Amino acid sequence: MIGQIKTALEQSGIEEYRITESVQESLECFFIRKRLDQKRRTDLTDYSVTVFRPFEKDGQKMLGSSTVNIHPGMEEKEMTDALQDAYGAAALVCNPYYELTKGKKEEMVPAEGRFAGRSLEESTRQMLEALYAADNRKGVFINSAEIFARRVVCHIVNSQGVDVSYETYLVSGEYVVQCTEPQDVETYHRFAYRDAQTEQLRRQVEEALSMTQARAKAVKAPKAGEYSIILSGEQVREVLSYYLGRSQTGMVYQKYSNYEVGAPVQGQEIQGDAITIELKAKEPYSGEGIPMKDRILMEKGTLKTLHGGSRFAYYLGIEPTGDYRCISVPEGSRTLEEMKSEPYLHIVSFSDFQMDDFSGYFGGEIRLAFWYDGETVTPVTGGSVNGSILEVQGRMTFSRERYQDENYDGPYAVRIEGVKVAGE
Amino acid sequence: MRDLFRQKGVTMKVQESKFIREKKPLLSELLARLLDCYPYASILAVDSRSKVYAVSKRNMSAGESSLGTARGFVAKVSDGKHYAEYSFNKISKEEIDLIVEKIGKLAQSSTLLLPTGMEESEYLIPEEERTVFTGSTDYEIDPQAMGDEAILEHLRGIKEKGLAFDDRILDCRVRCEYQIYSKLFLSREKDMEQNVMWMTGVTAFAAARGEEIKDYYMSYSNLGGAEVLSRMEADVEKGAGITLELLDSEPMVPGEYDCICAPDVTGMIVHEAFGHGVEMDMFVKKRALAQKYVGEYVASSLVTMHDGASAASETATYFFDDEGTMAHDTVVIDKGILKQGISDLQSALILGTEPTGNGRRESYRRKAYTRMTNTYFEGGKDTVEDMIASVDYGFLLENPSSGMEDPKNWGIQCMVNIAREIRDGKLTGKIFSPIVLTGYVPDLLKSISMMSADAELNGGGMCGKGYKEWVKVSDGGPYIKARIRLG
Repeated sequence: MIGQIKTALEQSGIEEYRITESVQESLECFFIRKRLDQKRRTDLTDYSVTVFRPFEKDGQKMLGSSTVNIHPGMEEKEMTDALQDAYGAAALVCNPYYELTKGKKEEMVPAEGRFAGRSLEESTRQMLEALYAADNRKGVFINSAEIFARRVVCHIVNSQGVDVSYETYLVSGEYVVQCTEPQDVETYHRFAYRDAQTEQLRRQVEEALSMTQARAKAVKAPKAGEYSIILSGEQVREVLSYYLGRSQTGMVYQKYSNYEVGAPVQGQEIQGDAITIELKAKEPYSGEGIPMKDRILMEKGTLKTLHGGSRFAYYLGIEPTGDYRCISVPEGSRTLEEMKSEPYLHIVSFSDFQMDDFSGYFGGEIRLAFWYDGETVTPVTGGSVNGSILEVQGRMTFSRERYQDENYDGPYAVRIEGVKVAGE
Repeated sequence: MRDLFRQKGVTMKVQESKFIREKKPLLSELLARLLDCYPYASILAVDSRSKVYAVSKRNMSAGESSLGTARGFVAKVSDGKHYAEYSFNKISKEEIDLIVEKIGKLAQSSTLLLPTGMEESEYLIPEEERTVFTGSTDYEIDPQAMGDEAILEHLRGIKEKGLAFDDRILDCRVRCEYQIYSKLFLSREKDMEQNVMWMTGVTAFAAARGEEIKDYYMSYSNLGGAEVLSRMEADVEKGAGITLELLDSEPMVPGEYDCICAPDVTGMIVHEAFGHGVEMDMFVKKRALAQKYVGEYVASSLVTMHDGASAASETATYFFDDEGTMAHDTVVIDKGILKQGISDLQSALILGTEPTGNGRRESYRRKAYTRMTNTYFEGGKDTVEDMIASVDYGFLLENPSSGMEDPKNWGIQCMVNIAREIRDGKLTGKIFSPIVLTGYVPDLLKSISMMSADAELNGGGMCGKGYKEWVKVSDGGPYIKARIRLG
């Protein structure tokens, strides 16, 4: 099919392009309690073609682009019409000129890890065993779960010689834990693994069961006021995602972010831990075919890298890096026990904790927190957190204990001083 | 209620898909083969095209959306007890044997998949009535005929107007999207085709306050075509002005307040706080508190809530759902009393209820779940002026940004961009931002004491089930007065 698309591009006079072929097979299972409710399988082949069109406007060199989907089995005329339609649109997209990624044909990069080479049925069964291994307590159980095992082969070809492909396996899913006594409550959890990390999934479920039991005992919202809060697990990554978002070349070029390499982006006065973040390459190539590698994003509060694709990097005159989602962060300065030696509100579960890259505000509704007033620990539920990272980033301390998920490997917890909490 | 949202000046019908027409004989052949093997089989074919245009100060784009553009099939079978689905996007006469074989292998795969001690749920097969249906929605201006150049030029004009409003406007991002989709549903008794078009637009402004970027958006939508674009231009100066007001905003002082919710905030409360809680696949899992409250007061007697693909003309309007059930207008709450939930077909089979046409898929690639469509509160009898005048101290809430459901515990989380201070029945001009709304759903709904007459819906957003399965929805209602905890 890639050959047919190339022929159609040539016949349409389109010289600059990128073709992305994605061949995906998946096995999907949906459970209510321990009963399989439905099973699904997918076999999907997709082609996305971005056409690029150089032109001049008001004496300035431009490069417009437009993306179109080419469907398997499309007839030649329909394909040509779709590509020409996209080429017409590209002539109207007035973006300044930039250089496309250059490359050559590379060997396919096969997937690594224990899912590779196995059938999706085998991988699904193995992860299901891990998912339900800890589900044997009284009064607290997995209410429902969904599990998706996928194999994807991605092939990227462009008009500048890029011809790369790689294979990935991923088993992901979500589950809801319910506890019926003393209150009937539930908590929601997600997972995603590129390797058969069965013990990690089993441990995650153990923690989810314990957390849900604690939530069942929480009846009151915290009192409204200003707290030293502790966030843990995926919320730590969400807080740090502010720096990931603000350092994107697209944000900087469009002046939504004032980040520049060498700038003290964590602020001038750091009383807590100075933050170091490493960008982790999860795939061998970016969506444009740029080889991906691990890079230091910021070191002790100072920005080291702006990251993004070829277009905005060209405008900023820097090396294109590809897009990153995964970060690694060194351990913090305090143990969790030390963090908890003074009064705190440890929020272990939110409805939906969010960090706004634009404004720096973070917040969410509290589903479960533990309030320590210096003497006793009380589970609480309800109310909300609403803070600004710009105000607190110099006063954040991170734990020595670590946590890992699909897009994060770093401190398990962060303590943030002086955050407003709405409550009773 | 439907008349409130009827489009004016309707001139044309969305055309059928040539692709689906050409593939229908092959799909009918595949269905016949499957019905030879299984007591129930159905096939959904989808051909959708979505194009997105975006213009900002330093960026432009025009191209197909990967989420909204799709062409493929999903076959669903039941052996009388267990269901299996196969999504695929290649079919030819030669491939039919292979497809039937793959479905057969999947249907029998449970013993390979399930660890010891786990079993498979058993379902009945649906009783079907003979249904042959073809329907198309209306539009005034075909965005494809209008063309890329005219659409981009229109957006560029809005952007320039926004940027020219004040030097402090850092950017004015203007975006629009249309989707034209055709669906064919085939089963033993059903042969249904529909062709639908919607179009949305958004204008988003940004202004800097030091490192902090304040932003504000205005959203537009219609079941139809590019006629929606004309509404965007008229509001540019208003949007830019509000963005500048946000530069002087203050953080909210946490507390419980009398609040007037604008229709967009009402819509988010309707959708997030209550709508997700009446999705009946949650009833099957015993995850929804609402199941225990059917027939009881869950809201003020002023509240009547609808959901349905035929309840309004908006972006979630269709003729039949992805399981071949005709669209409904479901009255979920009638004068404060919870009457019923909304349901997909499979949930209805296990609950022994009627499906309500809410079985929706993100695309043919994904499973069908119970999903909302057009969800709203009916209007009341008050005026907005009287509502504001009735507040001693409180806030007018506008411009929601996101929300999250909690069907089990009826918790509320809605993020809102603007709270305008009301003191002694008058807006003071002071703005607080951003705000988190929290609380217990029945407390909030029972506290509703006033409602304005006109309900407004907006279908600019998408709805996820948890963090995935994105479908187009609309929601809204009138201005409401309620007691809400803000943080």
